[in-house]
Amino acid sequence: MLRLATLAALTAALGCVLAPAGAYAIAEQATLQASFSPDRLGEPTTITFGFHLSTTEGTAPPPLIGLDLRMPAGLNYTTTTLGLAICQPAALIADGLAGCPANSRLGYGSALVEVPFGTGAGHEIPEIQAVAGPSPGGNLVVLFYANGLYPVDAQLAFSGEVLPDTGRFGSQLTATVPLVTSVPGGPDVSIVSVTSTIGPSHLTYYKHVHGRLVPFRPRGVSVPERCPRGGFPFAAEFTFQDGSRTSAQTMVLCPPHHR
Amino acid sequence: MAARDVAHRGWLRLGACSTAALALAALVSAAYGSAPSRAATAHAAGTVSLNDTAHLHLTSHHSFTLNEQGSASGTIAGTIYIHLNVVSTNRVTAEVNLYPSGGSLTGYATAGYRPSGGVASFNGTMSVARGSGRYRGAHGSGLSFTGTIQRTNDAVTVHVSGRMST
Repeated sequence: MLRLATLAALTAALGCVLAPAGAYAIAEQATLQASFSPDRLGEPTTITFGFHLSTTEGTAPPPLIGLDLRMPAGLNYTTTTLGLAICQPAALIADGLAGCPANSRLGYGSALVEVPFGTGAGHEIPEIQAVAGPSPGGNLVVLFYANGLYPVDAQLAFSGEVLPDTGRFGSQLTATVPLVTSVPGGPDVSIVSVTSTIGPSHLTYYKHVHGRLVPFRPRGVSVPERCPRGGFPFAAEFTFQDGSRTSAQTMVLCPPHHR
Repeated sequence: MAARDVAHRGWLRLGACSTAALALAALVSAAYGSAPSRAATAHAAGTVSLNDTAHLHLTSHHSFTLNEQGSASGTIAGTIYIHLNVVSTNRVTAEVNLYPSGGSLTGYATAGYRPSGGVASFNGTMSVARGSGRYRGAHGSGLSFTGTIQRTNDAVTVHVSGRMST
């Protein structure tokens, strides 16, 4: 009897964790990862974030159409030199990363997509690029670009806008993700996971010094100067084509001597 | 730390600018018909239409604040210091201290902030909170406060215009 009650409580608790509010029929779930490298308070860093989407049934999630990534308060954009140039979306789509100035690069990553036919195995998009885009609204705009090859011969390009946030979160990256058709007239591709950086790691910028083009490493966004109890919070909300949503949270632990 | 010390010392130093004195002298002289040498030391109540541009360079930065020093030219010229505080991804506040000959002016500004490639721009309003010396009692609000930040070196250009009571 006790075991039955425990099992029932556990099931109920698990249901609360996995199911979006008021929608037990929807079974998408997400995990979120984030890290700073280097992870030193007040120092410029490269932010790495990633998410994995799945369903409790083990099938591919519905196509993703929206992403809202909330980042901790105190991240310092004041002295970053990331995005010294702007990449025009048309040039990015036409020529890929080659169409963008080197000084517009913000980061890079990879993705795993699920094509709704064939073996059912995920297909990796090995290269995602993040570049600075035009900002008509005055906010920092990040353009994400992925050039899909076999079996998805399509380019994925979408933009995210960095908006101010409140409370534990200081900013949020809000992006609308376009649907990518697997084959002409076929179903849309499901995004299973994405990992990307925003920061100077592996980036080289160029500047003119006495008529010469000199490479330099851009300065990243700075880690907050104080670490809140429990660490730096990240949260993400995902919106799918069928209207369902799910969310995930994670913490970047405080540097060891600040815990 | 050294940079901050320099900035702190610089903050206390009053700028001397002969063109500022001459400009003000001419202004007061025109208003009162007195000799420039006498007018330059007078404190006269009235309204001044400010139209100033300043070019500043970064002296230090701390947390979200850029500390800038430079020179202003226009209606009132002199050494200028600005603490520019980036309060969010799209908003800045600023404390502006201008040291023309024989006085000082302090103002506070809020502005929208738009980073775009190598240049970030800001656009907002400033109020003149106080003055000293020949600008004692200065006040004003709703002055235009616009400018740019060169993101490679954090050099700032700022333009202030509007009416100020003295």
